[in-house]
Amino acid sequence: MTTPQGVAAPGTAPGAAVATHCPYCALQCAQTLTPTPGGRLPVTVTGRDFPTNRGGMCQKGWSSPEVLAAPDRLTTPLLRDVKGGALREASWGEALDLIVGRIRETQERHGRDAVAIFGGGGLTNEKAYALGKFARVALRTPYIDYNGRFCMSSAAAASNRAFGMDRGLGFPLEDVGGADAVLIMGSNVAVTMPPLVQHLAGVRSRGGLIYADPRRTATARLTDSGAGVHLQIVPGTDMAVLLSLLHILIDEGLVDAEYLAKRVSGYEAIRISVSAWWPERAEQVTGVGAETLRRTARLLAAASPARGGRGAYILTGRGMEQMASGTAAVTAAINLALALGLPGREGSGYAPITGQGNGQGGREHGLKADQLPGYTSIADPVRRAHVAGVWGVDPESLPGPGVPAVELLRRLGAQNGPRALLVHGSNIAVSAPNADEVKEALMRLDLLVVADLVPSETAELADVVLPVTQWAEEDGTMTNLEGRILRRRKVADAPGEARSELWILAELARRMQVDGFSEEPSAVFDELARASAGGPADYSGVTYARLDAGEQIHWPCPASDDAHPGTPRVFLESFPTPDGRARMIAVEYVGPRDDVRVEAPVYLVTGRVLTQYQSGAQTRRVGELIDADPLPYVEIHPSLAESYRIEDGALVELTTARGSVQLTARLSADTRPDTVFVPFHWPSSANVLTNDATDPTSGMPEFKVCAVALRAVVVKEEVGA
Amino acid sequence: MRRIVVIGDGMVGSRFAEQIVEADEGIHVTLLGKEPIPAYNRVLLSSVVAGTKSADLLHIAKQHPRVLRLTGVAAATIDRDLMRVIDSNGRSHPYAELVIATGSVARVPAIQGVADSGGLIDGVFVLKDMADAEGIVASAGRARRAVVLGAGVLGLEVATGLARRGVVVKLVHIAERLMERQLGWEASAVAESGLRRLGIDSHTGASLARVQTTRGRVTSVRLEDGSEMLTDMVVMCAGTIPETTLARNAGLVCERGIVVDDQLATSDPHIRAIGDCAQPPGGARGLVAQGWQQATMLVAALTGAQVQAADTAATADVVRVKASGMAMVAMGVCGDFDRADPRYRVLSLKDPEGGRFVEVVVSGGQLVGATCIGDADVAATLSALYTRQLPVPSDPAQLMIKALAGGGAPAATRDPADLKDDEKVCNCNTVTAGRIREAVADGCSTVKDVASRTRATTGCGDCTSLVEGLISCHRSPSTSPAAVAAVPQGA
Repeated sequence: MTTPQGVAAPGTAPGAAVATHCPYCALQCAQTLTPTPGGRLPVTVTGRDFPTNRGGMCQKGWSSPEVLAAPDRLTTPLLRDVKGGALREASWGEALDLIVGRIRETQERHGRDAVAIFGGGGLTNEKAYALGKFARVALRTPYIDYNGRFCMSSAAAASNRAFGMDRGLGFPLEDVGGADAVLIMGSNVAVTMPPLVQHLAGVRSRGGLIYADPRRTATARLTDSGAGVHLQIVPGTDMAVLLSLLHILIDEGLVDAEYLAKRVSGYEAIRISVSAWWPERAEQVTGVGAETLRRTARLLAAASPARGGRGAYILTGRGMEQMASGTAAVTAAINLALALGLPGREGSGYAPITGQGNGQGGREHGLKADQLPGYTSIADPVRRAHVAGVWGVDPESLPGPGVPAVELLRRLGAQNGPRALLVHGSNIAVSAPNADEVKEALMRLDLLVVADLVPSETAELADVVLPVTQWAEEDGTMTNLEGRILRRRKVADAPGEARSELWILAELARRMQVDGFSEEPSAVFDELARASAGGPADYSGVTYARLDAGEQIHWPCPASDDAHPGTPRVFLESFPTPDGRARMIAVEYVGPRDDVRVEAPVYLVTGRVLTQYQSGAQTRRVGELIDADPLPYVEIHPSLAESYRIEDGALVELTTARGSVQLTARLSADTRPDTVFVPFHWPSSANVLTNDATDPTSGMPEFKVCAVALRAVVVKEEVGA
Repeated sequence: MRRIVVIGDGMVGSRFAEQIVEADEGIHVTLLGKEPIPAYNRVLLSSVVAGTKSADLLHIAKQHPRVLRLTGVAAATIDRDLMRVIDSNGRSHPYAELVIATGSVARVPAIQGVADSGGLIDGVFVLKDMADAEGIVASAGRARRAVVLGAGVLGLEVATGLARRGVVVKLVHIAERLMERQLGWEASAVAESGLRRLGIDSHTGASLARVQTTRGRVTSVRLEDGSEMLTDMVVMCAGTIPETTLARNAGLVCERGIVVDDQLATSDPHIRAIGDCAQPPGGARGLVAQGWQQATMLVAALTGAQVQAADTAATADVVRVKASGMAMVAMGVCGDFDRADPRYRVLSLKDPEGGRFVEVVVSGGQLVGATCIGDADVAATLSALYTRQLPVPSDPAQLMIKALAGGGAPAATRDPADLKDDEKVCNCNTVTAGRIREAVADGCSTVKDVASRTRATTGCGDCTSLVEGLISCHRSPSTSPAAVAAVPQGA
């Protein structure tokens, strides 16, 4: 339906414009890249009409070609001969031989589990798959996980538990435009995914946008002028809001009883579990008035199909998921959606908004400690046999489940923990919680290999640095936030000797005398598709040829004789659970693990700015983005600043139980007077402070809220003093 | 296997039972409840009276294979020597640990004619359990007038609830102020006028002398001052008394309630008490949050389980009236305290016409008390702030009027002509008004032109109308001197 016009498919003559997608977030805005031989930048970019971004792009997308020509782009492998010494240039042969030699040595001395892989949610499906296979077949280690654990793991765990499947948006994003109410919890979409806001125009025109956030963000402003409701909650209390909304629906008889009877199990226990959340009690916990909670619940109910509305959506983001009870919070959101009869109905639904570019695909193909391709369990003997068959190995030889990211990082270099680590597509020295401790763990390793585009903070700690290709320099597929499989296409050559991870893994495997690793993306994709067959994320009916012909395919898309069209909307008939019903699971609210107290009396929340992405390794290298937000900062309410005698622009020291940083104050009435905000894209900022307590189900760390003490480094002069 | 017997299947006893079997797989609980139905949400009984909540939605009891729940079975005696409880059917329940959670009973003031040998007479009620609530609802369906005795939290909730059902209510209160423990004089006056708007007359400094009946039905009440009020029913909300009968008979140390230490142990180390029946060192507040916290603490004490970061609101003495049509909350230092006390900074906002009263008490940079009537949003902010002891602005007045509102004007209502050159128009692409004016001056005459030149509008598209405005301002410069001035020379 959106065959790019006047845009060449791959493999056509160089110089032709190419249809691809933005390198950054999971919205994967469609772009057209046109090569500019001899220009300062290798390509120019324009937005391309597509159902998700409708031609729009934010500043990160517009400036994305800058990263191709980053002045400090890695162009040759680098080696560090002695710990603490300098990195020197090396040939690929020398670097790869060294890695294989050291891996062999480490595994001989400490066992196969002494080597680990850490991947990223920005890698293509093919790379994610190849890394997972490399860990299980070449290294035969259980230790593999990825930074998606910091991103989608709570939402994924809760969705799998409730629906039997996790596909991010189980419906095309365009569907949201027709709803009467959309509740967004913990996702500042106007800043993190601006083009998505186009899809909220309809609901705003009908006054139905509901948004919960301790800050009056750009997304909160979308609710102004009658467009909806902003619930300016106390940090960390999203879940209490959800429990109370469900309490009100039950109380006022607004649940979809017919749907609950037909499509859901476990409702009785839920009814009891929310009985303690009458709105006057929730008010005290959340800071949102009881009447406002009632109005919100009624607005959602009126929009629900059972009550004749056009439909309603509940969307969650990292703001409520990156908590030590993130899985429970998402479960509360799902329970609310089920009570309203939304999931599996056209025009309504629940969904988590995936963050990273391939955060969806990354969690489907085996990058996670407990999973095999097709989004299946590595503990399931049937799946082990199937995947081992595709890989041509004995199922017994496949390792079992490893440990989630935070635990993996904790074990690095520790007693019986991994002693060598390969990092691909992740800047853990900045992005992991309690980042200073992570850096120490990385320093303890016998071997740290980092494959990256630029000398990221993590690459700077490495023994071996491998230069890799990036988005416009490679072919592959990405799976966007709505489970739509997209083609990423090569338009420019990588500088110097940068190579794709697929080539690197194939070369390492060859040196280890292991077969079955191709450097050809389409060949890897075909194998991935076979390996995924029969799993929830079934790609076996998808080919590059179909995608290149312009087909829009959402998984599951099983292989079939008549070209299965894919599944734009899931759960319409039933849920992929044993009894076909969605499961409601009772959850208990627990407040922030590191809650405010006398020594740390203010809430710290963390998040993003529009012009930066993730740890900033790419976006901190783009001049115009840095100009927009040059340095990390702390946003403080003027009245809070006044009580600490902090002036706008002055240096503030923030101290938590983990660490301490100094940041510039930005005074703004947009945050609550009890809450400060720090963006996390920079080293030595938010994640030095954040809490590495994790969710018992998903392993998600509590990035989003902790208690902090403030101190003005230079105290403001009292007027007249 | 360790057998714990819990006496009292109320909000606190049932929560304890459910939590402790989750915390330790070796524990079995016998839960004795004297009411015919399992635990329900007693706090919301006043909402049942108001008709805002249906009775069958109050159930909170969860089934668990290791909780033996006996309904309609009261504990008759505690045999401490043999460590067993004898129930009302004469059956014996041995325990390794006994937890008393018998709650409290309604206080029935000594008023002539309220009771006979069969208990309260027809048409006279207290509100303590589901049967009471159902009786009141049934009676209200036939009644035109009601007298509510006692203007505490429950009295106000019942009075407003009955008024909501169309009953004409008179509220009789012995103290000179409504909710005298929580409200000062001015707050009480505002509350009184708020009630009047809901059709409820308050009579403070008054008490009932007798309830008069004709042919077995309540017809009127006589007050101590001799005046009479016609009424069809009377609801007494005159406070509660900890239910300690069993504990006293068993020889446990009791004062007002069953005396317990920090570990909730009574004078017998194998017997604990939680909830309204207990009297902990810091005193009982009669709020369910305190009982729930005690339940969680006791689970930790008996199993060694980690106590999860509890609901921070639990320990706080925040009193919130769930009155239909009236938002009222009081916390910490409130009521008739010494406003001249040098430790306190007291600010108040009085708006009797608007039915609003807000008072905040600050001490040492912390909110130590507050009273708020008639502003739900401010009430919510204050209780969130108070329960967590969050920092108070150096000017606490900011807390008193929609403290969290603020921020700039919404984008859609900004006038393009008024935009300064350095103001951002397109946030998604960091494009200022000045750059757009520059583009327009250079000949960009449509949004599309401006977009391809500056990228403005190409993100979320929300600024499209502003960009259109900036283009039309340029077309008619006479109405917009700012736009003309903004065009840089030779750009």
